[in-house]
Amino acid sequence: MNPEISTHPATRHPSWKIWANPIFRRYCRSRLRPRGLGVALLITVLIAGFIFFLSRAIGTHRTSLSLLDAERGSLIPLLVLQALILFVLGTAQVSGGMTAETDEGVIDYQRLIPMSPISKVLGYLFGLPIREYAMVFATLPFTAWALWKGEVASNIWAPLYAVFFTSALTYHLTGLVTGTVVRNRRWAFLVSIGLVFCLYTVIPQMARFGLVFFKYLTITPVFEESLPGLLPRTAGAIVATGQKLAPEVKFFNLGFPEAVFTAFCQGGLILTFIIMLCRRWRRTESLLLGKIWATGFFIWVQLLLLGNALPLIEPGNLFPSREMSRRIMDTDWAPQALEAVGMSGLYGLVTLLLLFAMTNIITPSAEIQIRGWRRVCKEGGSSLPILADAATAFGWVFIMALAGAGGWYVFTQSLVESRWFPGYEVPLSVLEWCTVVMLTGGLGFHALLEAKGGRTVGMAIIFVGIVPLMIGAVLSVSSDRLIPAASWLFGISPASAPLYASATLLSISELPQNLARSLPRAFYFWQTVSAISTVWLIIRLRIARKLIAESAIIRDTTAK
Amino acid sequence: MTINPAIDIRSLRVDYGNFVAVDDLTLTVPPGEVFGLVGPNGAGKTSTFRVLTTLMEPTYGEVILCGVDVIEDIETARRIVGYMPDLAPVPSDLKVGEFLEFHAAAYGLGTRAQRRERVAECLEEVALTDQRGSWCKALSRGQTQRVVLAKTLLHRPRILILDEPASGLDPLARRDLRQALRKLADTGATVFVSSHILSELAEMCSSLCVMNRGKLLASGTVQEVRDQLGRNERTLTVSLLNRQQEAADWLESRASVHDLRVSGQQVVFGFTGTDDDQADLMEGLIQRGLRVRAFEEKRSSFEDILVEVAESNRNA
Repeated sequence: MNPEISTHPATRHPSWKIWANPIFRRYCRSRLRPRGLGVALLITVLIAGFIFFLSRAIGTHRTSLSLLDAERGSLIPLLVLQALILFVLGTAQVSGGMTAETDEGVIDYQRLIPMSPISKVLGYLFGLPIREYAMVFATLPFTAWALWKGEVASNIWAPLYAVFFTSALTYHLTGLVTGTVVRNRRWAFLVSIGLVFCLYTVIPQMARFGLVFFKYLTITPVFEESLPGLLPRTAGAIVATGQKLAPEVKFFNLGFPEAVFTAFCQGGLILTFIIMLCRRWRRTESLLLGKIWATGFFIWVQLLLLGNALPLIEPGNLFPSREMSRRIMDTDWAPQALEAVGMSGLYGLVTLLLLFAMTNIITPSAEIQIRGWRRVCKEGGSSLPILADAATAFGWVFIMALAGAGGWYVFTQSLVESRWFPGYEVPLSVLEWCTVVMLTGGLGFHALLEAKGGRTVGMAIIFVGIVPLMIGAVLSVSSDRLIPAASWLFGISPASAPLYASATLLSISELPQNLARSLPRAFYFWQTVSAISTVWLIIRLRIARKLIAESAIIRDTTAK
Repeated sequence: MTINPAIDIRSLRVDYGNFVAVDDLTLTVPPGEVFGLVGPNGAGKTSTFRVLTTLMEPTYGEVILCGVDVIEDIETARRIVGYMPDLAPVPSDLKVGEFLEFHAAAYGLGTRAQRRERVAECLEEVALTDQRGSWCKALSRGQTQRVVLAKTLLHRPRILILDEPASGLDPLARRDLRQALRKLADTGATVFVSSHILSELAEMCSSLCVMNRGKLLASGTVQEVRDQLGRNERTLTVSLLNRQQEAADWLESRASVHDLRVSGQQVVFGFTGTDDDQADLMEGLIQRGLRVRAFEEKRSSFEDILVEVAESNRNA
């Protein structure tokens, strides 16, 4: 062979050597050019300097704070600025940069370069937001000065900034996954910013209703824990006193520092995102997660949800009304029965939505199934490997549905059989119904998706999942007489099933009179319909899969 | 000893939902060839190339490059192949030198000095040495194509896959591209190049294949392709000094003659026979005592044939 034409020896770029990563260096070059970087740094330093000196001046001259306390005044505004730069601008840059690569078409070059998928992911993860890192770095002298002169202990700021970094990674990975999955640049930008916004606004609200785990996907818990040390001493002492009344976080009664637990929660998500990206870099057609990983992730989230929630039931800190009672100094507080029913329903709903999301990730399309069968034929096999992307996700959805039902039941049982509702028990029949709700929802969704494809599922979500809720909402506010009819309409949507199940099956709370008859009936009726539909869809799925397998085998035989 | 083909495509099929982009394509390309892939837009050229370059997994079929299965051994296949996609995109935020050095580093081409040297070599090969410091976004279309070609050559691939490389190039640049590809083929590389500028490919390639609507219509040398497409057709014009109608009647009775018309002294007709048949035809006319003044042959251009094939397929 001509020496000119040779396959170059495989040079693997060690993934951990970020500074030597060609993709990282490529972005260092393009995003750290003096002109662009200079302007960004100038603006950042101006704003950070303004915040620092203004806070200091106010503390020193306009209040009676000591110099030490005045120095601390700039820490939180600086942290907010750093969060804005790294969380918002950084995430937008990551998702926008990724979709720009796809848009321009240069992503194909990067696919072909002989670097490991993990090296590519890390190159993009740290390379795309490199200017934002530089901007945050430019604010650090002000922070360092304030920490030093404000005598903030390292055990306060070190965990805070460690979690600040892991949170940034979580959000940047969210942006990277969005940029990889969503092809349209504008949509990717909007979705990633929307996700970050949700993480800070919607998801912490779920923590108020018993799903405490979601709070740990943000920097908030560690920030709150560090707050007394970051504020001027008097204010810090007040906050610290308030915090003694606030719920402390436990995981199955194991005492973890907030920072460690946050890092643990975010670490799982970071790892999952990296796996998704690596799979996509390895093969564009791959499903985002393998079946075992997706099932494991689902169970892990269930464990975290339960582990955070259960220890808070006995002291009453899990109930949303507890916080309100503290504010109004209500010493005779006790949770409402309806509150517990709502919390149980919300747990079931979140579990069901997570089940849908995981099912969507691991369910193979017809094309993936055909490719899988082609490989099987080529290797002389007669069935798809159980863990292959092309294999049916049925069994895995079944396992997740059972795990979800189990988690939901344990949560509900712990809630209802707690000291707050003496004399009440959650019978085993509730577990059976929890299982029915999860199985009909999960397997029905899966069978429809695998047999008919994403478009049909999209239409089903609109017309079965959302439209009945909309019509029901309009009816229910139009007249009290229409509420029973509205409850029947709401019941069509699978999203209402967990709430209906909790309301119907838990005896601790009496339903309002106008719902007492209609809601349980609607629940049982629609669950029956749902179960029959699911069985029919599963039969259709079996037929569809058989047809695909036969056509692939016939095609292969003909080709040979 | 048998030489393994550089590219071996077996029963390749690519589906996008219900649309079949490539349908049962089987093709082999020997090493060291400049092989052309011709077809109109939507013929399946780019899909075929994306499978060859590991960017897409086919629905069915196998693709072997220099003995490496591209579906099973992606990493090795990627080292063998150099790919220049259609429209040859370049990043807008890098300079030419930076773009090439990034790829040289990503392919692990030795030390920094060696990489810079290799970049200089490749830029020289595409006659863009003076543009090393220019922004990629500031280049003309032709220059962009050449920069991407330089990037494709960096790691000295054994198989070069070039999707419409000549589009946007001026005649001079096309000539340079032709020479560069021939030079590469002379060093043992296999070049698989697509275009719908057919005359360009006919000049550039040692052999080619024709695709339309995902199907392979013909492959081989230009003449073989012509024969396989059943378009070994020519238009003959016989100029006669006398008895034109008698000549027309006799010609019309011949099997290979069709679409005959008489126009003044000339009899014009389509002819699908062989060269021997054509010689017999001339001899027959003269033997009949007809005064043949001139005998003119006009063959359909390759481009005409393909346009006709594409049209007939579209109508079908």
